[in-house]
Amino acid sequence: MAGATQVLPRTMPRPAAWRRRGVRRAVTFYLLISPWLLGFVVLSAVPLVGAFLMSFTNYDGLNLDYVRFVGTDNYLRALGDSDAQYALGRTLLLMAVVVPVGLVLQLVLALMVNQPIRFSNVFRTIFYLPYVVPVVAGVWIWKIFVDPTGGLLNALLGVVLPDVNVRWLVEYPTAVLAVLTIWGAAGGGMVVFLAGLQGIPAEYREAAMIDGASRAQVTRYITLPLLTPVIFFNLVTGIIVALQILVQPMLLSPGILGLSPGTVPPRDNYLYVVHAYIEIFTKQLFGYGSALLWVLFAVVLGLTVLLFKTSRRWVFYGVEP
Amino acid sequence: MPGLSRRKVLIGAGAIAAAAAATPILSACQPTPKTGGSGKVVVMTDPNEFNDDDRKTLESATKLKIEVVKSDLTTLYAMWAAGNSPDIFRVQAAGVPQYISRKMVKDLQPYFANSKLLKIDDLAPANNFYKWDGKQVGKGDLYGMVKDWSPDFTLYAYTKAFDEASVKIPSDTTPLTYDELRDLARKVNKKSAGKRVYWGFVHSNNDQWIDRTAMNMLAEKNQSLYTDDFSKLVIAANPESNKVIRYLYDLAADGVNQTPIDPSPNWMGADFNEGQIAILQYGYWFSAMAESDKTKGKTVFLPAPTWSGVRRDPTMTATGWVISSQTKDADAAWSVFEQYMGGKPAQDRAKSGWGVPGLKSLYSQMPQQSDFQKQVQRVLQGELPKSDFILQFNPYIGEETFATSWKKNLEPALKGSISFDKFVQNIEAEVNTAIADGKRIIGG
Repeated sequence: MAGATQVLPRTMPRPAAWRRRGVRRAVTFYLLISPWLLGFVVLSAVPLVGAFLMSFTNYDGLNLDYVRFVGTDNYLRALGDSDAQYALGRTLLLMAVVVPVGLVLQLVLALMVNQPIRFSNVFRTIFYLPYVVPVVAGVWIWKIFVDPTGGLLNALLGVVLPDVNVRWLVEYPTAVLAVLTIWGAAGGGMVVFLAGLQGIPAEYREAAMIDGASRAQVTRYITLPLLTPVIFFNLVTGIIVALQILVQPMLLSPGILGLSPGTVPPRDNYLYVVHAYIEIFTKQLFGYGSALLWVLFAVVLGLTVLLFKTSRRWVFYGVEP
Repeated sequence: MPGLSRRKVLIGAGAIAAAAAATPILSACQPTPKTGGSGKVVVMTDPNEFNDDDRKTLESATKLKIEVVKSDLTTLYAMWAAGNSPDIFRVQAAGVPQYISRKMVKDLQPYFANSKLLKIDDLAPANNFYKWDGKQVGKGDLYGMVKDWSPDFTLYAYTKAFDEASVKIPSDTTPLTYDELRDLARKVNKKSAGKRVYWGFVHSNNDQWIDRTAMNMLAEKNQSLYTDDFSKLVIAANPESNKVIRYLYDLAADGVNQTPIDPSPNWMGADFNEGQIAILQYGYWFSAMAESDKTKGKTVFLPAPTWSGVRRDPTMTATGWVISSQTKDADAAWSVFEQYMGGKPAQDRAKSGWGVPGLKSLYSQMPQQSDFQKQVQRVLQGELPKSDFILQFNPYIGEETFATSWKKNLEPALKGSISFDKFVQNIEAEVNTAIADGKRIIGG
């Protein structure tokens, strides 16, 4: 016991010091993340809570004097809204095309610019450029490109088929939207894939090649498995982005109104968030529109959870995630 | 900082978030305090209609500072919801009943009654669009004023398109019937190698104002798209409504009009200037820009057509200003409003020819120098007596509701995916749902 009493005075202060250090670290941590945290709370959490509360009201965006609690009416209405169902179907279709094609394109671009070739940085910049072009400018580039009278696409087509005059935005609006979306996102995804590729130690590939593996086998058995976390990340973010597309179909619509009440995209491009936008800003049903968006959130959440569950089978992490 | 733990910090952050979320909701339940007297008036308007010179003129005349916010419905809703509405905002006639019904705008009758600049008996008839007694547009107190206006159903003919089709240019003294207009449109409509040369007849601001056109045509027969109390849109069950909607649909099906399956990348005014429209239905205001390099000397202004012989040519926009009921300094807002509507900016607008002035005393200042301006004035003088009519607008729905439903269903109808009857049914169902929503919100 005497030994123990001799030890205690030396060891007693330690937990307090650790606590103080822990507190200091916690304070430092929260101070450092506070700009983001504040931004998140003010710009994301508060509007989210506000929109959630709004979805249980008849709020019309104008006069708060008339706001009434309507319970789950808006959600029940959303489930029976044939336009919402149609729009969700079109959105899922677009996603089913845009996400896989986009992923493959991004990966191919990344593999290309990852090669030790001259001017690879120039190619990287060129491929990345559409990603930093503002969406409005990107849409106008494509609108001009596919214009039936003065557009480059029909002019090129005219070289082979002189009598053909395709009205792309009328006859193939979803194809134009899909290409525009893939084009706009390709650069961003490419950079993420490139980072993933450069994170794969060269020794793995070299060892495989020494063992006699071909380039295709190295890609199939070394590169792709080690890239699966990146593929998974791009897949999840790609799905989330594809389900929330609004600006592109609105700006691709006929006329000059753009993203404003009164714009109606071609029926093929009538996507889910477009429907929510029209319900909110054209019909002034802010409460109902919020409910529609929360339903979309549930769909996105469901798909994401599903992906995470399947990821255990095909995503290989170097360390436990 | 003894006792500070991650849990406590998170609880604190949660409390702050909850407080931040609750603040606007709780504050919305409190009456807005009348602080007043800030010396600043916020005006939400179109910068094309309110330039920097206007702002300086008004600031000098009123000794107030004016902040201009670009007119945008989405921004207005957001500002309104935040309790931070502009003191004055730009509206069009179609929105007036719903703004008044929702108590969003101030009754300006007492201000007009005491104004030396804006005398009630000097107000142009288009200002009646800013009256709403709860049942009818044009009755009750005055809630705003047009910045200027036009009889909006007049036509502009591009004579080159008529010459090329060997079709006689219509008389500028004898109005066409809508049936004659459709026949003409089909004759001058032209495509070449699948590409558009001339659209025959473009109207209703690319369908954006299609319900206003229909309402004006129907009013010739004392009919309406809606029931008397605006509680329902009735097309299929009203033969007259059905006939008008069929006519407008047929114009689209004929391929003479800009439609979702034959759209223009531009707005119709620019297309006319480019010499791509043979007949354009726009008001007097467009005369200020109708003559471009291509259309100069080849443009004729024509009277409004008639649907059943009782010609009406009111404004369908009546663009103007109202004062927000949320304003904290109504007197300051009024002094800016009064100067803009009756002071130097109003005189400048009258001289520019971008619309008929909102005050009858300024009519004489409209431009009459060029041959085209003289021809326009001659036709306009014949139209003004027909412009006293008031179009009715549904107070329960937004300005774009009908047109949005029309545009959404027109594309599948023109592509043959749905029949005309289904097209009508869909519009009725969608608009009536919106009316029911509006009625539930504001009562009535």
